[in-house]
Amino acid sequence: MQSMRYRIARWVMQHRGTTAALFVAVTAFFGAGLRNVELKTIFSDLLPKDDPYVQVFKDHPNFGNPLTVTLMVKRKDGDIYNAETLGKLWQLTRDIDLAPGVDHDQILSIATEKARYAEATPEGIDMRPLMGDQVPRTPEEIADFRGRVDKSPNARAFLISGDSSATLINATFIEQRLDYGEAFKYVHGLVRKYSDAHHEVYMAGQPALTGWVYEYESQTYRIFAVTLGALVLALAFYMRNVVGIVTPIVTSLVAAIWGFGFVGWLKSPIEPLLLVVPLLLVARSLSHCVQFTERYYEVYAHVKDRVKAAEITMGVMLAPSVLGIFCDIVGIFLIAIAPIPAMERFALFCGFWAIWLIPTGVILISLLLASLPAPRNVDRLIGKGASSGLHRGFRSLLSGVARLSYGAPARVTAVLMGVLAVLAVYTALQIKIGNPVEGSNLLWDDSEYNQAVRQINRNFPGVNTLELVLEAKDRKDPQRVARQADTVTTMLRLQGLMEQGSVPPRATLSFADYLMEGNRLFAGGNPKWLPLDPDNAATNAAATAVTMGSSSKAFSHVIDFDQENSTVSLWYKDNRQETVDAALKAAAAAISIVGQDHPKFRVRLGTGTIALQQAMNNVVERFHWVIIGLLNVVILLGCSLAYRSFVAGLVLLIPVNLANFILNASMHLIGIGLDINSLMVAAIGVGVGIDYGIYLLSRICEEYHAHDHDWGRTIVASLTTTGKAIMFTATIMLIGILPWYFLSGLKFMADMGLLLVLTMLINMVLALVALPLLVWMVKPSFVARKDLFVGEGVDLSQFTAADEDFGESRLAEVK
Amino acid sequence: MRIRKYDVDYSRRLFLERTAQGAFATGVLAPLWPLIASGDMSKAYPDELTSVEMYTKGKVKTGDVLTASNVDAVKDLLDPITFQQIKTMGRRITVVETVKDPTLLYPMAFLETSLKNKGKAKLGADGNIVDQAGDSWLGGIPFAEPKTGEEAIANLTLSWGRHDYCQYAIRQWDISPGGDPAYQYDFVWAELQANARLDGTSFQNKKDLLRIQSVWFTSPQDVAGSSFLSTWYYDQHKYPDLYGYLPAFKRVRQFPTNQRFEPLLPGITWFLSDAWAAGDPMLTWGNYKIVGRQPMLGAVSQNWHGSRKNWEIGVHGGPKGQTFLDANFSMCPECIVLEAEPVGYPRAPVGKKRVWIDVRNQQFVAYITYDRRGEIWKSFEVGWSRYQDGSTLVKDPKGNSEWSWTYVLSHDIQANRMSRAAHTESCAGGYKSQLADNGVDVYNKYLTNQAITRLGQA
Repeated sequence: MQSMRYRIARWVMQHRGTTAALFVAVTAFFGAGLRNVELKTIFSDLLPKDDPYVQVFKDHPNFGNPLTVTLMVKRKDGDIYNAETLGKLWQLTRDIDLAPGVDHDQILSIATEKARYAEATPEGIDMRPLMGDQVPRTPEEIADFRGRVDKSPNARAFLISGDSSATLINATFIEQRLDYGEAFKYVHGLVRKYSDAHHEVYMAGQPALTGWVYEYESQTYRIFAVTLGALVLALAFYMRNVVGIVTPIVTSLVAAIWGFGFVGWLKSPIEPLLLVVPLLLVARSLSHCVQFTERYYEVYAHVKDRVKAAEITMGVMLAPSVLGIFCDIVGIFLIAIAPIPAMERFALFCGFWAIWLIPTGVILISLLLASLPAPRNVDRLIGKGASSGLHRGFRSLLSGVARLSYGAPARVTAVLMGVLAVLAVYTALQIKIGNPVEGSNLLWDDSEYNQAVRQINRNFPGVNTLELVLEAKDRKDPQRVARQADTVTTMLRLQGLMEQGSVPPRATLSFADYLMEGNRLFAGGNPKWLPLDPDNAATNAAATAVTMGSSSKAFSHVIDFDQENSTVSLWYKDNRQETVDAALKAAAAAISIVGQDHPKFRVRLGTGTIALQQAMNNVVERFHWVIIGLLNVVILLGCSLAYRSFVAGLVLLIPVNLANFILNASMHLIGIGLDINSLMVAAIGVGVGIDYGIYLLSRICEEYHAHDHDWGRTIVASLTTTGKAIMFTATIMLIGILPWYFLSGLKFMADMGLLLVLTMLINMVLALVALPLLVWMVKPSFVARKDLFVGEGVDLSQFTAADEDFGESRLAEVK
Repeated sequence: MRIRKYDVDYSRRLFLERTAQGAFATGVLAPLWPLIASGDMSKAYPDELTSVEMYTKGKVKTGDVLTASNVDAVKDLLDPITFQQIKTMGRRITVVETVKDPTLLYPMAFLETSLKNKGKAKLGADGNIVDQAGDSWLGGIPFAEPKTGEEAIANLTLSWGRHDYCQYAIRQWDISPGGDPAYQYDFVWAELQANARLDGTSFQNKKDLLRIQSVWFTSPQDVAGSSFLSTWYYDQHKYPDLYGYLPAFKRVRQFPTNQRFEPLLPGITWFLSDAWAAGDPMLTWGNYKIVGRQPMLGAVSQNWHGSRKNWEIGVHGGPKGQTFLDANFSMCPECIVLEAEPVGYPRAPVGKKRVWIDVRNQQFVAYITYDRRGEIWKSFEVGWSRYQDGSTLVKDPKGNSEWSWTYVLSHDIQANRMSRAAHTESCAGGYKSQLADNGVDVYNKYLTNQAITRLGQA
């Protein structure tokens, strides 16, 4: 009786027209979905949605200045109190008001009328802009201006650096009008325009970061094109015939159309920061096609009939291909366990793309092989006749590698592997969670953005904030919760407790600070009037005083527009994990002292860069081992079933897990912690890395019979055939992904590329060394079975004799 | 029989020619002002300019409600923000009959004074408006047929409310982008003409002042008593003095004189600069240009709802059905399109303003500000009306029915926040609207620093 896979293969070949038409129709359907494809970075979707800090962030997105661009103008040779620098500042402030999408009500610098000083007059209080309607030019005007700055404590603390050499311009954008790319281009143009021999201008803030990412994402498409070109060239160099080049390209292209078209129809945006993974899938598809095509060459060389050769190849390769791709799919889909929306969408996109590799990589490829002209250099490609130097080189190298895995050398290899495993596991377990950097981990350390962040951190309270949100229970409370005595008193107590703690923030700010200053000024200017009476009347009076004649937008960093919710901002000197841990611990303690639940509001910890960094670390800590564990379980079940042996599952999983430990150990040794990158790489590494093992183990099963149960010859034969394809696959992956590390301006993408390359290389080495070594040591009995689902053997003589009933075929050597 | 010569294209060509030539004549079929004096403007314009049905070739008729489905037919008759409100935000506007009786567009005393003093105004050497003898303006519209942008803005600036004393009890809701009221204020706006008065005098001989104006908030409780006093000089180069009073501190705060582009209190979208489309002294702005003439749809009549409780107006539209006030618009056959730039404010966030002024009463029917990039920012739409609603009416001291504004819609279309204010009969604190001083010493009661401190104690 024919086995199912051979019956499928025969049916497909007998109905090539129908099957091809089906592929055309499905491709047209998904092709139509391409017009809906959207590549878009949604930054909030990169955060774990179930994390309490992220939930605070999402409930209060206006706190922590997510829409504010900060420009720092620094005088290189002196302070800012000179006509040239002040003139530059004035004009830069005016020019940033022309930025597309900017909120004209929310531009703040010492040149805007919003930066004010107050003087007591006989009639009351006179509040005036620090800078008049003209830039101070004469020494007297400049001295006068400086005197006014000294009367404005908020300007001194937040707009002018301690040494007076730098000043800030903050411009907040309107979310629904903000086109990050356009705004970035404009503001970055200002940075260039206003930098000169005496002045440095730095740009930071979330819109600037987003702008940089978008800027580099356009670069990403060029790198994508370059790497795809390199992949095709490598393929051409290796194959040197039409069918060998066209088949992988068409197959991979169709899978890509299906992959992109699918998410197009779902209208699910694709995260460009993770585009290196689809490229991995392209490389994966190409390498799979190479394995498939090489096997086709071998069959074709024997049966000399394209259609028959394609049919046999499909029958032979269907099971190991499906099993390999199944592992890829599991690895990718399991990424979605981490509750990060961008990862969920990405898992859907790439997971289905991987699923599409089954019909395209098994059926479509067979149709193409049956239809395209037969290759003329088959003998050279399969090692008969004069093979090329490349192929010879691969083969001799692999013969040498094979020697490490059997006989006497195997014992030494086993000991070395054992030592390596112990060291790798031990070192890997020391790895820390998180990769704190000053600025953004999306960009390189020496990027313009991260340099700007460092400069601003150096001169001002900076960008590392922790926000403790005082959330109104009724967001439409007519009493305006943010201006109630209990709320304001709580703000002040929180600030006091944090400032007195063991790791005090370098600055704190809340609406209470403005109210106290308002209280002092309107009570006559004496500092003794700074404290507010702890009653609603006094607090409300101070709130009215400070907001009179202005929009509540002027205070949007500390209260919301409706004056219901408010925040206490705490600035820290850095975001190292020790600082983050101490800050969060102190904040939790402070909240427990002031009470989390109040009659009109609750205190929530928290948002800001410090809390969100911890949220990312939490998700990595929570899910890193869970994902690896689940992946192991699913793959173990799948492989054990396929090989009808639990031992087979273990033999396959040991090298990939060891590879993961070695990768983590290497990261730890070079000072990289576990982060969201490594979470993805670990899942993909195990899922995709195990393919090597599956192909090799299936070949070992086949060669074991062909070499009369001689383990040594079996291993050599397997490594010099399938091992060669594995090496080529790894090379293809290297070509496809490694350039990202060198070409991408996005560190996030480069890091992921590097980690993927490393994990694939480690997996390849372990598949070629550790897996045959394990087989040799264990000598598993399943290898001797002839009824394996994933066995690659077939008796080709049957097809040269008669075209029927080969399902009961015995395993035989192909060559 | 209708004269075909005077079709829409004829009027458009005529308006283009007048704009290009700087001509100041008004009316298409006949000069407008003699007809205003006669009390019937119906012969001044062809049907195509007075009938929305003719203008739109039957697509919109008097009595129809403008909605997203038919507003395209009148796109050219609306300012761009009003068009967007109807097209995308669910605003509805009823088209009512075009006004032919000029007395429906003025307070009677103001119309009479305007006709009496017609032709007596001129721009002085320093740009200020004077009579032929060089003294302060006599009252009424100074330039019935403005030749320049300066003359057109002078008509708006010299007398905002067109009475010698106005006191408006106002209830205002500030609507968030989500359609919910974020703030609600009750306040009183009082303005006293010091010169350019209808009674032909200078108030208390204060010849250097144009007007004294105050605003005091009466609700909610946390801001009640907060008040502002703005003293305008007759010299339109000078910035008004602006003081605020905080009752809790019993302190007067002086604001920078050029702080004209900030709201009075949080939540409010309009600035002092926006008020009456002429919120700043006219010579602190510049580059006035009449850039066109065109027909418009404007809220110039039938907008007072005196028969309703406290004169309040129905709401509709927006995400929660409460963003817009109900309004009636009618055809304004000829409007001057005026542009100006805030040249006297080096830090102004506004790039320019565009004002559509109805030539029949020289009052604005639409007002838009642009940011410095040239993008549309805000509108300040005012509804005007004779104060007569069926048998309910408000009379002036001579027994004529009164005329004033009825509502304001100030829409910051960039932030998508709306302030909608209604001129009501009374507001919190018990203050009532009035369009004359009624024999009360309003100056000492409402319009001095001492007065606003007393208001805060109330």
